[in-house]
Amino acid sequence: MSDVVQASNLAQINDEIWGAVLGMVLEPAGPEDAQPEGEELVTGQVQITGDWSGAVFIELSTSLARKATAAMFFTEPDDVSEEDLIDAVGELANMTGGNVKAQLEGPHALSLPSVTAGQRYRVSMPGTRVAGRVSQCCAGQLLTTTVIESGASPKAQDADAQVLASAADSP
Amino acid sequence: MKILIVDDSKAMRMIVMRALKSTSTYGDAEMLQAVDGKEALGMIEADPPDLVLSDWNMPEMSGIELLQTLGERGIIPPTFGFVTSEHTPEMYDRAMAAGAQFLVSKPFTPESLEGALAGAA
Repeated sequence: MSDVVQASNLAQINDEIWGAVLGMVLEPAGPEDAQPEGEELVTGQVQITGDWSGAVFIELSTSLARKATAAMFFTEPDDVSEEDLIDAVGELANMTGGNVKAQLEGPHALSLPSVTAGQRYRVSMPGTRVAGRVSQCCAGQLLTTTVIESGASPKAQDADAQVLASAADSP
Repeated sequence: MKILIVDDSKAMRMIVMRALKSTSTYGDAEMLQAVDGKEALGMIEADPPDLVLSDWNMPEMSGIELLQTLGERGIIPPTFGFVTSEHTPEMYDRAMAAGAQFLVSKPFTPESLEGALAGAA
């Protein structure tokens, strides 16, 4: 699994998806980069179950999600409906998660995507640890992709749960 | 030519349709949409299309369940292919065994989609 969740591999998956589907270019971002305080965010996630179990999250600002949705629907960001935005972010998470799953050995199942949107929310999954994360920029806005793994040791869970929470939270 | 695009994501249905419309072969085709395998099954039974492009993972009825049901009923359209983000050898084998002609991985380009369709023809 370690090769699949390397930041460089996740970044390459996103580069291909955002380039081919949206015609948008992603640039590397530093691990210290974070969403601005109070930013309205959208998180899309899919779960993978099988010999390896975990989940893939993508997190981006609502503003960037509007641009991505507009590119998908061939419209303007201001004309994007909330329903279409949720659909588009879910599909982006589905493509990222599906490409992660496709690189795993053995049979695995991919869940349907779920999407959370709003401000000051926290995404956490008990009994998991962060297995990989990459931050990228598009038009000056951040896209963070996180892979979490189920069944981690209690020590690893404690250490990484905080990383995930602080990255997904906008206090 | 009549093409049925099956995907629970409206965004992906739009992308597939836009990709097909940009090709010389399928630009003038009539395009129909279904949101899952269950809706697609009803549409295919009522008026069989020439080509079905289906997502794999959908609520109600998945793409592979749709294809298997069509096979059981003896009504698989002339060309049936999957457009999926989770392309694995196991899925490819299941799809081919059920009667599909090809799998296209998401993300795709209009060229890769047209190439897969040309290979199935």
